[in-house]
Amino acid sequence: MGSDPRPIEDYGLVGDTRTAALVAPDGAIDWMCIPRFDGEPVFGRLVGGPEAGTFRVGPAGRSTVAARRYRPGSATLETTWDTAGGRLTLTEGMVAEVAGRLLPPTLLVRRLTATGGPIDAVVEFDPRLGEPRRPPDRHVRGEALVCGWPGLAVGLHSAPHLAIEPGRPTTVRITPEQPLTIALAVADREPLVHVPPAAAWDALEADEERWRAWCLDVDDAVPQRDAVRRSLLTLRLLTYSPSGAPVAAPTTSLPEVLGGTRNWDYRYAWPRDASIGVAAFLGVGKYDEARRFMAWLLTATRLDRPRMPVLLTLFGKHPRAEHVLDRWPGYAGSVPVRAGNDAARQHQLDGYGWVLDAAWLLTRAGHGLYAETWRAMAGFADTVAARWPEPDAGIWEVRGAGAHHVHSKLMAWLALDRALRIAESHRTSRRRRRRWAAERDRLATDITTRGFDPARNTYTRTYGSADVDAALLVLPVLGVEPADSPRVRGTIDAVRRELTAGGPLLYRYPPGQDGLPGTEGAFLPCSFWLVQALAGTGRSGEAAALFDTLVGLSSPLGLYAEEMAPAGGRFLGNFPQALSHAALVQAALALRDAQQVTTRSE
Amino acid sequence: MDWAGWALFGLIATTALTAAMIAAQLLGLTRLDLPLLLGTIVTRNPDRARAAGFFIHLGVGQGFALGYAFFFVLLDQATWWLGGLLGLLHSAVALTVLVPLLAGVHPRMASYRAGPASTAVLEPPGLLGLNYGTRTPLVTIAAHLIYGIALGVLLRPG
Repeated sequence: MGSDPRPIEDYGLVGDTRTAALVAPDGAIDWMCIPRFDGEPVFGRLVGGPEAGTFRVGPAGRSTVAARRYRPGSATLETTWDTAGGRLTLTEGMVAEVAGRLLPPTLLVRRLTATGGPIDAVVEFDPRLGEPRRPPDRHVRGEALVCGWPGLAVGLHSAPHLAIEPGRPTTVRITPEQPLTIALAVADREPLVHVPPAAAWDALEADEERWRAWCLDVDDAVPQRDAVRRSLLTLRLLTYSPSGAPVAAPTTSLPEVLGGTRNWDYRYAWPRDASIGVAAFLGVGKYDEARRFMAWLLTATRLDRPRMPVLLTLFGKHPRAEHVLDRWPGYAGSVPVRAGNDAARQHQLDGYGWVLDAAWLLTRAGHGLYAETWRAMAGFADTVAARWPEPDAGIWEVRGAGAHHVHSKLMAWLALDRALRIAESHRTSRRRRRRWAAERDRLATDITTRGFDPARNTYTRTYGSADVDAALLVLPVLGVEPADSPRVRGTIDAVRRELTAGGPLLYRYPPGQDGLPGTEGAFLPCSFWLVQALAGTGRSGEAAALFDTLVGLSSPLGLYAEEMAPAGGRFLGNFPQALSHAALVQAALALRDAQQVTTRSE
Repeated sequence: MDWAGWALFGLIATTALTAAMIAAQLLGLTRLDLPLLLGTIVTRNPDRARAAGFFIHLGVGQGFALGYAFFFVLLDQATWWLGGLLGLLHSAVALTVLVPLLAGVHPRMASYRAGPASTAVLEPPGLLGLNYGTRTPLVTIAAHLIYGIALGVLLRPG
């Protein structure tokens, strides 16, 4: 990758809801963990350097990318190159639906087709496992190449058969009459299931139909429907089906500034993201997905209740301690590359608010909570009632001493408010309700007196601080004060004024104000929250224009990272980022709702 | 064969095992919830499932107690340590065979192969039940030791 790495936004995502791969425009898979999102990378060149493995299928000679897209309404990626001999197209995806069939849990299918004449293509298959970039034991079994490590194996089949050697590029001539199909199967502590490439291709096509049907449900009334569908599909691809855990991103340590140290491991599930996902899926009528997120929350938090962990593994365990992968050069020299995430040890108050709001949304949509779910939620509300006066790390997980973050207090207010609303239809003692109500009112007084700067007419980042915080853009949807209140409008305007990164972009807080060296990019979810805030405060026209601009900033494939460089527009941070996509969906829903209100009032 | 002992003490030993597992859950040692896992085979509601699962577990425990009773008859002795040894073996079978196999037959439990169409909401237990917490194997072994020792002490060999 060297000093001039491929831009993050050039990568495409293919996945099967159990793991995912990032594919570069030259057909190289530079990131893929097996057997799960949080497993070890088998192709890790993106942050692990050239020795960390790649799997490239593409043109052998000079070429230019003529087109790149997802097949409509699907997770199948298509890249077309113009070459001297004609056009070469790579169509690829992972088979998501393998239950009930003798298929491997991960099956990656890649097909090269030529039009206009025969074209030379290259297959470079170089699997290396984990931090040591361990080369595999290689065997040929029949027509399959099997690469194994203790407990793990990948099997490669191709049709027509190619004698592929790991680490050595193999050239093949693709003719219009005969495409090349390659199937990569993964086995984790079980026998490899060898799938003939033709059968793998059929399975991928059947999967494509299922994704298309899944996308059809999305409400026609949402603005930028294609972008919303791509975001929902990306969110679903990033949801680990065996447990329902939403992974924040499939990557680790893509930097928040090129060459910087803000490089974190996002291959975990944040209850906050799950709750935002509940709202996004509920808003488009996908109740099963919303319920699965809530079910994951319920089981994953079981050992820690009534405290809610900040983040968990895909199966609800505490992540291992954060450590540095010393031998990895990082993306664009951005070190350290980290595995594990120490934010798990923080106290973050806002998470409770997101979770209880999601429970309330489910209740309001007619999905009453089971007694056990309500017991868990009520326990969270008790924790908030007891702990809200304490400082916390805040939504941005700033490392170091805690502070009284105004956003956290607002979300604590939300937690108690939503608990009280749910309690109206779920059995709760009067004493408990009185306590929640009293603490909610105390919180409101505390926030409005200590968290508001009357001189600047804005809520602040922390009590007594001169900074603002883009997370405060959620104010209009909370209900702590009326959406049309001058204080709410003043805060929105202050955030836009003081945190602007140019155009539609916002910093989440004043750059560099987090105790780490250097700065970072603009935080994309904040821009979508601004759309939501504007739509919620009667500025729908402005909101719609901003939303259209933001949709135009997506990657060519409709994906978003966590951040974007204000100058040059390059993506930064882990990719693709579930929170960005969930925020996009929420912004679209806020616009839809605002437009419906306008239509009704006319 | 001590049929009366089997009928009564099987219930007592299974109840003790269940109580130990629930206590471990309440202490935050594991998320393994056998009554819930078994009960959700028949109902989606977790509270009803726990009640149903408790009785299903009693039935299953009674079946295993029969095996213990036959074993004691074959060896012509029933002691606490023999019961404990059987309990250890029983826990090994539960952790490596029975619990992981549940994912294959349970209508509401996802497997590692679950995809987007899956509506199963229970996560699979994984090898040794480790998906339910790293202390799950220890809790399971301890609970089955209690079960085995109880039967070893209470059952008569003949």
